[in-house]
Amino acid sequence: MPEDLEELSLLETLDHLLDRGVVIAGDAVISIGDVDLLYLGLNIVLANVDAIIRTGQK
Amino acid sequence: MKWVVIGAHLLRDDIDTPAEPIAAGDLFLSGLPIPDEQPLGDRDLLLRVARVRAALLDRATFIAVRYGFAINTHEEAAAKCSPHLARWRENLERHRLEVEMTLKVVAAERVEPPHRRDFTSGGDYLKALHAATKAVQVDPKFREDAERLLANGRWQHRDNQSLELAALVARESVEKVKYEAIALKERFPHVPFLLSGPWPLEVFGE
Repeated sequence: MPEDLEELSLLETLDHLLDRGVVIAGDAVISIGDVDLLYLGLNIVLANVDAIIRTGQK
Repeated sequence: MKWVVIGAHLLRDDIDTPAEPIAAGDLFLSGLPIPDEQPLGDRDLLLRVARVRAALLDRATFIAVRYGFAINTHEEAAAKCSPHLARWRENLERHRLEVEMTLKVVAAERVEPPHRRDFTSGGDYLKALHAATKAVQVDPKFREDAERLLANGRWQHRDNQSLELAALVARESVEKVKYEAIALKERFPHVPFLLSGPWPLEVFGE
């Protein structure tokens, strides 16, 4: 498989792993009307601490 | 030891090592055992879970659980899943011989997202962001053909520049759908899209 297709396939696989499927526990969506305003849960942060601190300082 | 839950399965035999079957009512969850101290955001773990997920799908269709659901005991998993089990069983039985395919399509026109500095109310900003995402459209002719390729699909608005169509496809038809997607590409060279799959029940798991 060409390298760019392999990379695309990996990105797509990770996208589905992280952003699809049923959500089971510890989640809540706070809505006003039919608009979801706040999503709480899935306590995973896929970033390193340095990146989070840099983002917070901007 | 803790377990990363990968999916919900109809039969115990649908789950193979390194995943372990975890009984939940009359269904089974696939759990990948990992050390307590292992962070879920670990890159190697993500890739490992993705590989195991694909291997499980080769065995049989299951309902995908979104990454991040980790449990410390089997009982905890069964308790947290109990409200969903009846619906899951129904879906697993109905779609046993199918898998999901998804078609990501770049929008005909990018909808400009709102800028947060233009809002004094966070709620209003989020509503505008939501509206921008919902306003995204694809070429209507492409949409028609895409819906013929992936019949009875569900469109998902994911961001302000693309849409995604998810549909159930019989396992034996996956290669045929991929082949027909090539013809779709030839008919619509101006519409960038990506067909991917097979996937477990993700959109149709609920």
